[in-house]
Amino acid sequence: MKKTKIAVLVVFLVVFSVVASGCIGGGGSNTTSSSQSTTQSQGTSSSGQSQTTSSSSAGVAEQLVIGVTDKVTDLDPANAYDFYTWEVLNNVMEGLVKYKPGTLEIEPGLAEKWEVNNDSTVWTFHLRKGLKFDDGSPFTAQDVVRSINRIMTIKGDPSWLVTSFVDHVEAKDDYTVVFYLKHPTAYFLALLTTPPYFPVSPKYDNDKIDSDATFGGIGPYKITKWVRDQELVLEANPNYYGDQPKTKKIIIRFYNDASTMRLALQNGEIDIAWRTLRPTDIKSLKKNSKVSVIEVPGAFIRYVCLNTKIDPTKEVKVRQALAAAINRQEISNVVFQGTVEPLYSLIPNGMWSHKDVFKDAYGDANLDKAKQLLQEAGYSKDNPLKITLWYTPTHYGDTEASLAQVLKSEWEKTGMIKVDIKSAEWNTYTDYARKGQMQVYLLGWYPDYLDPDDYTTPFLDGDANGWAGTGYNNTQMNTILRKAQTITDQNQRAKLYEQAQDILAQDVPYIPLIQGKLFVVTQKSVKGVTIGPDMIFHYSTVYKTG
Amino acid sequence: MARGLGRYILIRALMIIPMILILYTIVFLFLRILPGNPILAVVGTKNIPPEQLHHLEHLAGLDKPPYVQYFDYLWKMLRGDLGVTLASPMGKSVASYIKLRLPATVELTIFAFTVSVLLGLATGVLGAVKKGTKVDTGMRVYSIIAYTLFIPWFGMMLQYLFGVRLHWLPTSGRIDPGINFHSITGFYVLDALFQGNWAALKSVLAHLVLPSITLGIVLSGAYTRLVRNNMVDVLSQDFIRAYLARGVPERKVLWYALKNAFIPVVTLMGLQFAILLGGAVLTETTFNWPGMGTFIMERINYRDYNSIQGAVIVFALFVGLISLIVDVIYALLDPRVEY
Repeated sequence: MKKTKIAVLVVFLVVFSVVASGCIGGGGSNTTSSSQSTTQSQGTSSSGQSQTTSSSSAGVAEQLVIGVTDKVTDLDPANAYDFYTWEVLNNVMEGLVKYKPGTLEIEPGLAEKWEVNNDSTVWTFHLRKGLKFDDGSPFTAQDVVRSINRIMTIKGDPSWLVTSFVDHVEAKDDYTVVFYLKHPTAYFLALLTTPPYFPVSPKYDNDKIDSDATFGGIGPYKITKWVRDQELVLEANPNYYGDQPKTKKIIIRFYNDASTMRLALQNGEIDIAWRTLRPTDIKSLKKNSKVSVIEVPGAFIRYVCLNTKIDPTKEVKVRQALAAAINRQEISNVVFQGTVEPLYSLIPNGMWSHKDVFKDAYGDANLDKAKQLLQEAGYSKDNPLKITLWYTPTHYGDTEASLAQVLKSEWEKTGMIKVDIKSAEWNTYTDYARKGQMQVYLLGWYPDYLDPDDYTTPFLDGDANGWAGTGYNNTQMNTILRKAQTITDQNQRAKLYEQAQDILAQDVPYIPLIQGKLFVVTQKSVKGVTIGPDMIFHYSTVYKTG
Repeated sequence: MARGLGRYILIRALMIIPMILILYTIVFLFLRILPGNPILAVVGTKNIPPEQLHHLEHLAGLDKPPYVQYFDYLWKMLRGDLGVTLASPMGKSVASYIKLRLPATVELTIFAFTVSVLLGLATGVLGAVKKGTKVDTGMRVYSIIAYTLFIPWFGMMLQYLFGVRLHWLPTSGRIDPGINFHSITGFYVLDALFQGNWAALKSVLAHLVLPSITLGIVLSGAYTRLVRNNMVDVLSQDFIRAYLARGVPERKVLWYALKNAFIPVVTLMGLQFAILLGGAVLTETTFNWPGMGTFIMERINYRDYNSIQGAVIVFALFVGLISLIVDVIYALLDPRVEY
């Protein structure tokens, strides 16, 4: 009897394991596990806390570990549309042109030189000869054409960066490629530095996204191991035309939250903690003598959106009053522990054409002006302005609730405003924003390309700002912005953007608050961190001694 | 009796089907009632043109009426297909994610489970044997503290002590970065063992220590109480006195008593296993463990309907099967159970 029971149990366990493995493995069309790596990397260390590797003769470690709290979502440039994935793609791929490290200056990439016609609608690029993709296939003008057509066919998330501008592309010969644009685009070179324009190897399907693609661009590194959400290994690409990277192997480790990443840094499990530690972590790590905190200006901005279609923010004086009462320095110190800087325009500090228009028009924490404007709009202490301020609790980190609190207290200091705070999770929040259902709300912006256009048109052009939900539409503004897109002379463009910023400060559909700084925290032995205004960490210059 | 057992197993197994159907329906309804959709959550503050948004919604099938979406997914599910992810990267099969994440959770669960049972038995037996003494009180206090510990706080204390301060153990992840290791089944311990990759095995085991101790200690509290009380009951029964009177060695008597006291513990083990799988979420987040808990949390943020539905279904199936196994073991252990 006992034997029968055991037999039943054994059979049962076998059936169970088959069912369980079937249910987790079956069904999906994707049979290749993303944990599979294309190439096995060299084994190095095995100890729990230190990955210090065998050093090369120059005294530079062969591998370096970077921790991030971001995720790599999609390694196919036809579909990747988040900042961190773009950073990885920038390290394993390259466009026809690129930013000179640490600057906003554009220099040759896969193209040696280029010409543009008078109205900047036809751009001709002459490619470098003898280049190879990291899988070994040769690179020609036909690859550029195929890659652009691929983006247009697949229509992935970032494809609008190509389809809104490019009409078609032609290869004149093996090393000459011509872009014909739909309309004059002065900042086309800035667009070319973004991943949707990066040529990919012929191994990619022409009409399908390959989210786990670990082959094929031309960049200083190539991907040799990829375990989704856990680890990404980059190794120097021997076929790269430029300088070989200082560190042969870069390992990226993915973290769920900042505190775990900080512990890993302190425990020596990672050499660099990158995007994104919390302001409090930065503050305390600055006091830690074992690590270096490197500060880099960032091009991401935070701002308040004001709905121009619904009461009471429909009234321009109300919006101006709200702008006048804000104290950006207090926001920076109290909420962000000094890890951001005040911003007085939508165009970030340091970018050409930037003008401190809000400072000029309202000052900072100008309560008198705010009160005066509120009075003019018909509000008083007895009849206060009532507004609802919305924020989203996790998407911008856990500082968001305090940002909302500080704004509330600044506005209420006028004695003539009552603020009700509400919050919604990110997906609900974006839905409300797009439908224009919120009155006053907080948002942030990471640029797609580095040009004043990306900080003005998407916000202020009445046809382009549907996502923001402010309902702002000013014909004069639209005309200025569209004109600025078409002329190539930077001085003339700068004048137009200055005008646009002046109008912005008068109409106040948005109130710029702060501009982010970026922080890289490294072990003391790490050197060579260079992050330019594009906010992208190019790993090829970083190294670890000893 | 064996036939009776077979029938029992079959009926219990069949009952998992309506359970999953009900769960699927609830999850489906909740997801659709909440505002927001996966496409908007991904593109967020990007000025993607509206026609592009419509195109993406069409690709994800979100332009169809909800009841069509419900039956479409149900039909797929019946064929063993859990659909594709709707949040970025759109179009990747949900099963491929679950295949990657489920083994991590199960591996952690098994280790934490073992820790909790061993600790619970040891402390419980000790409390029962030393009944009424300070040791007994100490064990009782242990069980209360263990039961009420907040996993993220406790985990971070351990990380700080054994990682940052003492440098004995890694604080996060499943394996050292850059180690030469290729996982086939997703169960790193098994893979490392089969491949004879001792460096990887050492690293994997080192990474398992802190999370499984954290979770194990927290869950052991419930066993301590249960084992102690059962042991006290059993020890006071006539057959134990009879053993002792006949001069059977005390250790042997304790063993018999433990075997008897173990039966209700098995039931608790089944329940705990289910709680463990779910409760692993906090541990996974604290130790950056790439398991199902963190996966579901992350996908809820992106309102990725298919991934959430798929993950919940697989989870439910797993818990259902585990509780079924426990019931069977219970039946085999306890001769009083009839079918």
